Amino acid sequence: MTIFSRRRIAVAAVTTALLAASACSGGGDDKGGEAASNELTVMAPLFGTAPDPNGELQQAVEKLIGKKLKVTWVPNAEYGDKSNVTLASDKIPDVMVVNEKSPSFVKAAEAGAFWDLTGKLDKYPNLKPSNEQTAKNSQTNGKTYGIYRVRPLLRSGIVIRKDWLAKLGLKEPQTTNDLYTIAKAFAEKDPDGNGKKDTYGLIIPKWPGNYASASPYDVVETWFGAPNGWGERDGKLVPGFDTPEFLKANEWLRGWVKEGLVNPDFATLDSANWNDPFVQGKGGMIIDVNVRATQLLDLFKEKNPKDFDKVTLVGNLKGPDGEKHSYPFTGYNMVMAISKQHVRTEDQLDQVLQTLDKLESKDGSILLTNGIEGRNFKVDGQYAVPLNQDDPKVKAIQNDVDKAFIQLGTRASVGLGAYALRPNDEASRAMREKFDVLMNEDLKTAVFNPALSIIAPTAVAKGQTLDTIIPDARIKYLSGAITEEQLKAQIKRWYDSGGTDIVKEVNDLSAKAGG
Amino acid sequence: MATDLVPEVVQPAADSSRPAPAAKRTRRARNLPRDLFRYRWLYLLLLPGLVYFVVFKYLPMYGLTIAFKDYVPFLGYSGSEWVGLKHFQELFTGPDFGRLLFNTLLLALLTIVFVFPAPIVVALLLNELRVNVLKRSVQSLVYIPHFLSWTIVASLTYLLFSVDFGVIANWIHGIVGGQKTDYVAQADWFRPLIVLQLLWKQTGWGTIIYLAALAGVDSQLYEAARVDGAGRWRQFWHITLPAIRPTIVVMAILTSGHLMDSGFEQIWLMTTSLNRDVADVFDTFVYYIGITQGSFSYATAVGLFKGVVGVVLIFGSNLLAKRLGQRGLF
Amino acid sequence: MKPVMKQRVRYYDSVGSRVFDVLNVVVLTALALVTVLPLLYVLAGSFATESEISSRPFFLWPHKFVTDTYHYIFSTDTFVRALLTTVAVTAVGTVIQLLLTLTMAYPLAKRFLPGRALVLNLVIFTLVFSGGMIPTYLVVRDLGLLDSYWALILPLAINPFYLIVVKSFFQELPEALEEAARIDGCNELNVFLRIVLPLSKPIIATFSLFYAVGIWNDYMSPLLYIDDSKKWTLQMIVRQLTAANADSANVLQQLETVTFPEQGLKFAVVVVATLPILFFYPFLQKHFAKGVLIGSVKE
Repeated sequence: MTIFSRRRIAVAAVTTALLAASACSGGGDDKGGEAASNELTVMAPLFGTAPDPNGELQQAVEKLIGKKLKVTWVPNAEYGDKSNVTLASDKIPDVMVVNEKSPSFVKAAEAGAFWDLTGKLDKYPNLKPSNEQTAKNSQTNGKTYGIYRVRPLLRSGIVIRKDWLAKLGLKEPQTTNDLYTIAKAFAEKDPDGNGKKDTYGLIIPKWPGNYASASPYDVVETWFGAPNGWGERDGKLVPGFDTPEFLKANEWLRGWVKEGLVNPDFATLDSANWNDPFVQGKGGMIIDVNVRATQLLDLFKEKNPKDFDKVTLVGNLKGPDGEKHSYPFTGYNMVMAISKQHVRTEDQLDQVLQTLDKLESKDGSILLTNGIEGRNFKVDGQYAVPLNQDDPKVKAIQNDVDKAFIQLGTRASVGLGAYALRPNDEASRAMREKFDVLMNEDLKTAVFNPALSIIAPTAVAKGQTLDTIIPDARIKYLSGAITEEQLKAQIKRWYDSGGTDIVKEVNDLSAKAGG
Repeated sequence: MATDLVPEVVQPAADSSRPAPAAKRTRRARNLPRDLFRYRWLYLLLLPGLVYFVVFKYLPMYGLTIAFKDYVPFLGYSGSEWVGLKHFQELFTGPDFGRLLFNTLLLALLTIVFVFPAPIVVALLLNELRVNVLKRSVQSLVYIPHFLSWTIVASLTYLLFSVDFGVIANWIHGIVGGQKTDYVAQADWFRPLIVLQLLWKQTGWGTIIYLAALAGVDSQLYEAARVDGAGRWRQFWHITLPAIRPTIVVMAILTSGHLMDSGFEQIWLMTTSLNRDVADVFDTFVYYIGITQGSFSYATAVGLFKGVVGVVLIFGSNLLAKRLGQRGLF
Repeated sequence: MKPVMKQRVRYYDSVGSRVFDVLNVVVLTALALVTVLPLLYVLAGSFATESEISSRPFFLWPHKFVTDTYHYIFSTDTFVRALLTTVAVTAVGTVIQLLLTLTMAYPLAKRFLPGRALVLNLVIFTLVFSGGMIPTYLVVRDLGLLDSYWALILPLAINPFYLIVVKSFFQELPEALEEAARIDGCNELNVFLRIVLPLSKPIIATFSLFYAVGIWNDYMSPLLYIDDSKKWTLQMIVRQLTAANADSANVLQQLETVTFPEQGLKFAVVVVATLPILFFYPFLQKHFAKGVLIGSVKE
């Protein structure tokens, strides 16, 4: 039987016929009719078990906004896949929580799947952007495709073993040099007092993101004066890794690795286990978001409720040039976009926005972030205190809030715009206060990424090749696998593989978007 | 101009109720209505499955042509622009193609050499085991790792081989001494670890099918052989192995079609900055494209490329099997 | 009917044979240990506190035995409901899949059947080519199956790989038996039902296990086709609780109250999700694992 037997041809014929026939079907045909005007369809990520549509919380929310809610809760781990399939079907919900920078969304939005909300939000008091920088960050090449969900604008900090500092007679660091001294002391001066040299300073995990994704490396580079992602040099925007400050910062860190001041498995430690070496007393420093401090406090408390205040938090540091540069956050996480599937006219859009406006009002924000006052929590000063947690119905409300409905908030998140949870002990309370103090202080010297909202076509097209060049080179350099010359060669490789085009596009698009 | 009845028909049991024996070697006029009636029960049995294939496998096949378009889910199939061979050009001329191909093929080769035979060997060993208690326990245990997700397997790998506290890593270090090797991070150990993971997770599950083949062997054959004076080895060689051979051949041919498929999730979890050069395979590449580009078209193009290779391999290995005297798939 | 050997037959094994036996035992025991030890760790971990899991590298029995993780899993009816849903879908699905596979494989095993090669080629083609996630989704949608349990069964009704293996098994069956039946006047259908199927018990057992596990472990189908969270299957919940977050940005940007599941919980979820299959297995095992019992009384 040869490859070209009659059978093969028959197969090919059948296949072609099927292909031809099916080619006419499938895809964007008539996409649904008018929306039921008293129902709002929503899609949002879910972090636990899905709420009951007839549950108390949903009832309360529906009552507040005066409409029925039909929410499709999607497990967060598969949100991307589900979003893509949803975009291909003709069942796009009215309101969709979405990563506005994801290429599928951008393509869909630019093709007309979602409303361009630029300038439209100002007349809704609760939807109007409250922070200009964040609003800018959440745009896509100058256009606003969604209402951003607010998060703290700055969260970076250093968590340090307070008891180790005390034992070694050290003070909290102010500069990068201080940090180095502390790390060296942690590694060499036996801070846990067990007579063995088994401790190190900094704990870094395998970072799941690429360059400029708030990794400890990015934070350190910022301290040294490098830009955050993109920065202006000589009137043009350049990538942050193409600066002498970037190289200096990494040279410094490389020294750390060489001297054993960093955990030996920094290239492979699973970030889900980041706390472990800290709690086990192997390392004494973590550079990450401030909430890790309270997380660690809780872990220590679990280990020994009598003596757990072993954690202190420090803000961003002054670099070798004596200046402080702070690493900010984007200020938001995903946006709520409005699809044109059922919302076809400006009037309908206005309706939906009004509904959302109600949802994000002060009362709505409390419902979404805390729950039903008097049922699952009560107010104590500025705090929310959990109530009736043994009642299964109340537990259901709490679960609905924490794992689901809080995802619908744009105006409030934990600690912002609604009641914060009352801390369980003095140490936590003091720590939380510190968050705000440090944040406000550090925001004064925040280094924002001016190109955060820019989506360069070449960056999208060649991302799979380009995105990993710099982070990989950085790790290899830090671990000693390559030299600084080779690191510079990798940077050049980035440029040669398409980076040059990206730089040009970013500059052009940025100018167009009003820089 | 082949018909059903040509050369491969070597059926010894010629029977009168079967049509046109091989001796004729001429093209028998096919009389459709008569055949449909004659074998009506067979066609009836065939029908539901056929419907399934047409509806759920062939109707969506138009999706393959997405590889020639710039597909945007929202715009739908007809609304998306035709770009011809653009994605294929990008794939073959891209800077990564060579490396991806090499990594994928090398991993496939290692899988063929180590992972494919393992279940066969274990099944045969189990078959020869005389201690019943052990036999049953081993059978009941070895397949369980198949159920663990790769996330757990990755965590376990890390737990056992981490340079810091990995139990096995420290044990090896105790024996071998010298500097501590970071098995999980280094590029040199990436492939061995992947193969080990595959062996651990899949071997037990794979034995089931071979055990099924061995279960069908008539034990009277063994009795007869013993009576004839055949020792254990000869029984194995002349009864056991031939019993399992057709299954091995079929499995081999079918698996060859998936040569270019690597365990995406497994590799994705084990990739680090230090081993990415050896870890990147087509499947992780495509996944990453999905994230950075949202490009279904590119992903489909790669799938199409892999499919073509797969088809060639299947028919190729089928031919090879036939030349070696085995039955093959047809 | 095959005569059952009643007497114990003794054979004198060669030295080589005995050495092999010993080695065999050693090797297989080692294999069993290597397989089982990590599993025991997972089981132990599901009963341990989080701090123990993070501080002790590898253990088989927790210092402090707790059942918090299991409490958590069964505290809401979500998990139980998903479990029952999955059991039902798997049971129905496996039957359907077996039926379709067996009935389609049998005719394909008959080499005289006109059109057989064409169909075989069509099947093999689908082994390596697939229309893709979205076109398949659209077909399911057009059939009106979205958000229904049938969407979890029908699109996967036949696995082409299994189909071909089953076909090969059928081809290996001795012709003589089928011939005898035909001569006795049975039509093909009867031959299939009365002769071939009863002889295929190992195959049926094997593939009912494979298919059942396939549906059990499938998370893609529920993810794509099911919107109603009440219809979630077990794997949706398992993935929710155990999947690594590959999306880097989100790892950081999550809110405080969103605590990621602890290691212990992940272990417990895996244990609970795997247990039902472990119960199912022994019933089937005897069919595909008879093997040869040399030198002992036949069972």
